[in-house]
Amino acid sequence: MEQATPDPERLWQPAPLEPLSHPDAGLESMMTENNFSLKKIEISVSEAEKRTGRNAMNMQETYTAYLIETRSVEHNDGQSVLTDSLWRRYSEFELLRNYLLVYYPHIVVPPLPEKRAEFVWHKLSADNMDPDFVERRRIGLENFLLRVASHPILCRDKIFYLFLTQEGNWKETVNETGFQLKADSRLKALNATFRVKNPDKRFIELKHYSDELQSVISHLLRVRARVADRLYGVYKVHGNYGRVFSEWSAIEKEMGDGLQSAGHHMDVYASSIDDILEDEEHYADQLKEYLFYAEALRAVCRKHELMQYDLEMAAQDLASKKQQCEELATGTVRTFSLKGMTTKLFGQETPEQREARIKMLEEQIKEGEQQLKSKNLEGREFVRNAWADIERFKEQKNHDLKEALISYAVMQISMCKKGIQVWTNAKECFSKM
Amino acid sequence: MSGGPPKALPSTGPQSLRDMPHPLAGSSSEEAVGGDSTPSPDLLTARSFGDKDLILPNGGTPAGTASPASSSSLLNRLQLDDDMDGETRDLFVTVDDPKKHVCTMETYITYRITTKSTRVEFDLPEYSVRRRYQDFDWLRNKLEESQPTHLIPPLPEKFVVKGVVDRFSEEFVETRRKALDKFLKRITDHPVLSFNEHFNVFLTAKDLNAHKKQGMALLTRVGESVKHVAGGYKLRNRPLEFAAIGEYLDTFALKLGTIDRIAQRIIKEEIEYLVELREYGPVYSTWSALEGELAEPLEGVSACIGNCSTALEELTDDMTEDFLPVLREYILYSDSMKSVLKKRDQVQAEYETKLEAVALKKEERPKVPADVEKCQDRMECFNADLKADMERWQNNKRQDFRQLLMGMADKNIQYYEKCLMAWESIIPLLQEKQEAK
Repeated sequence: MEQATPDPERLWQPAPLEPLSHPDAGLESMMTENNFSLKKIEISVSEAEKRTGRNAMNMQETYTAYLIETRSVEHNDGQSVLTDSLWRRYSEFELLRNYLLVYYPHIVVPPLPEKRAEFVWHKLSADNMDPDFVERRRIGLENFLLRVASHPILCRDKIFYLFLTQEGNWKETVNETGFQLKADSRLKALNATFRVKNPDKRFIELKHYSDELQSVISHLLRVRARVADRLYGVYKVHGNYGRVFSEWSAIEKEMGDGLQSAGHHMDVYASSIDDILEDEEHYADQLKEYLFYAEALRAVCRKHELMQYDLEMAAQDLASKKQQCEELATGTVRTFSLKGMTTKLFGQETPEQREARIKMLEEQIKEGEQQLKSKNLEGREFVRNAWADIERFKEQKNHDLKEALISYAVMQISMCKKGIQVWTNAKECFSKM
Repeated sequence: MSGGPPKALPSTGPQSLRDMPHPLAGSSSEEAVGGDSTPSPDLLTARSFGDKDLILPNGGTPAGTASPASSSSLLNRLQLDDDMDGETRDLFVTVDDPKKHVCTMETYITYRITTKSTRVEFDLPEYSVRRRYQDFDWLRNKLEESQPTHLIPPLPEKFVVKGVVDRFSEEFVETRRKALDKFLKRITDHPVLSFNEHFNVFLTAKDLNAHKKQGMALLTRVGESVKHVAGGYKLRNRPLEFAAIGEYLDTFALKLGTIDRIAQRIIKEEIEYLVELREYGPVYSTWSALEGELAEPLEGVSACIGNCSTALEELTDDMTEDFLPVLREYILYSDSMKSVLKKRDQVQAEYETKLEAVALKKEERPKVPADVEKCQDRMECFNADLKADMERWQNNKRQDFRQLLMGMADKNIQYYEKCLMAWESIIPLLQEKQEAK
């Protein structure tokens, strides 16, 4: 299924190269390899198909595969040519995203649609195989790819390109990058979060904001699902009027026709809610995307905290080495050290031993100072790049959510107009009783 | 009550009506299609059989019967010739101004009953009395006793589960007042019931309790005789039309019961929907506090949902106060009508049985004995009264339901219009471009 209106943001465009902390992203090589600087690309997830296969434990499983089609659009005539088409399942999307998270920690990486159906109101199925859920997921996956493709940095990633073009062997290629090893351990990150002393204030605020955002959107989605449930009930009970008016009209003379036709309108009213609520699901999906985006924001904050903590630890280590050196040189022992203890226990060391130690420390200090300098640089660069992307994200978020609210208001207006129409028709029937 | 010689029809009737302020002006009470003619005052005095001084507009004696006809059937026959004309109305009754009375023994509500009339039965042109529910109940019982061949309108339900409904809340009292007003207006519009003495006493007496104690024996001969019809006679052939009415009423009451249940269910669902909405709106407000550019749009959506919630509350209140009580009233109405039908059956059964008994005794001269004749009269009067009342009832019912259902549609339209306005007004706010920070 093609996107209705090609969004210029979706199309690949050459962008000025930006310095990245991870040179193995393969940016330059990819650019020349594939010559995408001249062509524009359209991406769509056009189909979903149920498949059966064998999983890692050789057990039969059922899963859904999605067809990704890539078209290149010629500049001049606007015609599109199908260049690539392959099938991917959800877990491969997850793999791609995890890779992007590791290699672009300063980027707010677009989220995937939910793995399992959550915030469902009673009529919707929570079953992953349910066709409505699969359909909404297809749209969500397409949205994810479009988000990545329209991101000025992410769009040029080689692994992303291969995801769209290389069906077989892609998983191996990703794993070969060894990104899993490069990933920061969760434990390390948690530790850093608690112990970091001087994170950038903006990141503290951002983390706080993303926590609140997540909480408020969750609450909103939960209540909205309940509201949908209740609204469904109200509309459907009116359907009973249809039947009873029909039965009543059978015993009436002059009143009969009016009652009968009014009953028909009650049936129309009752069945109108199905489409209304289906449309509203689209709004809920838009909110969900930003619920999951909050987690992506937090990931960037965590990375900063980790880097800052790393920096602080390196600085602390350097400071303590310098102090040790000074103590050895001046002969005073102000701080506790193992060497000091052993010296006390086993006797003083010789001047030669002391000299050796001082020299070693001085070397370590020199190394440490260089490391600190580069860590500092890294940290500042990270903050700069991350904040640029965060500003971009904020603009995107404000724009998207405003659009979502407008479309929600339009849905409500349409629902009200339908309601007025139906009841006006019913009133006319009653007036003819 | 004037018992003097027959007077001429008042020629100034319509004119004096024009001078009177019309207490029903602008009220939404149903227009009784059954006619509301002003029978000649003379006819009103002819309460007993055999009064040959009846002056009839058509001239001549009452057609058809050799035996004296009851006053009520005569009036009914006149009735069917008259068309409804608001200007011939000469009796207006209104129920309003509920007041709470706190006494040592009990607390209760009274309503003001205002009567304006040019009828001769009323000594004064205007009356204003206060009555409480049990007075209405007394009146209804008396009407049933004294006019057993007619359909007496229902009263709103007597018993209210204490603790569930507040008997003194504004909504309850207003709902009851409307129902009591409807009750009296239906009697007022009835060509026979409106002339009932108990009704007159109810409208005029300063001290109703004193009257109740007197236990006025003002039953009409018809009422007296029908009242004493013993049960236990088996009915042979129920005339088709009355069988049809019975069947109709059965199905009618059933359907109304279903509609009542559906309406209650809808209100329940709407209230639950309202509860969720009241939680939903404020979440947008909470969110708005986190945001910069989105703060106003989110706050706007929150306010919008709040407005829709208020509109929904108004809808459910209206339906509870105006829709449900009228449905219940009609269910009570059809119940009481069924018992009148049963009485009619009894009267016919008695007649048939007695007739049969006579036919068996072949020795009797072929003259029908007097008491069998009386039974026949009773039956024929009853049938005539009931038929006329049924027609009137059918017309009123049609008007009432037309109004009720149109009202329900209206309330829903108004609800959606309020919501539409709220959402439409917020679109410009949402589309506003943000000014440079």
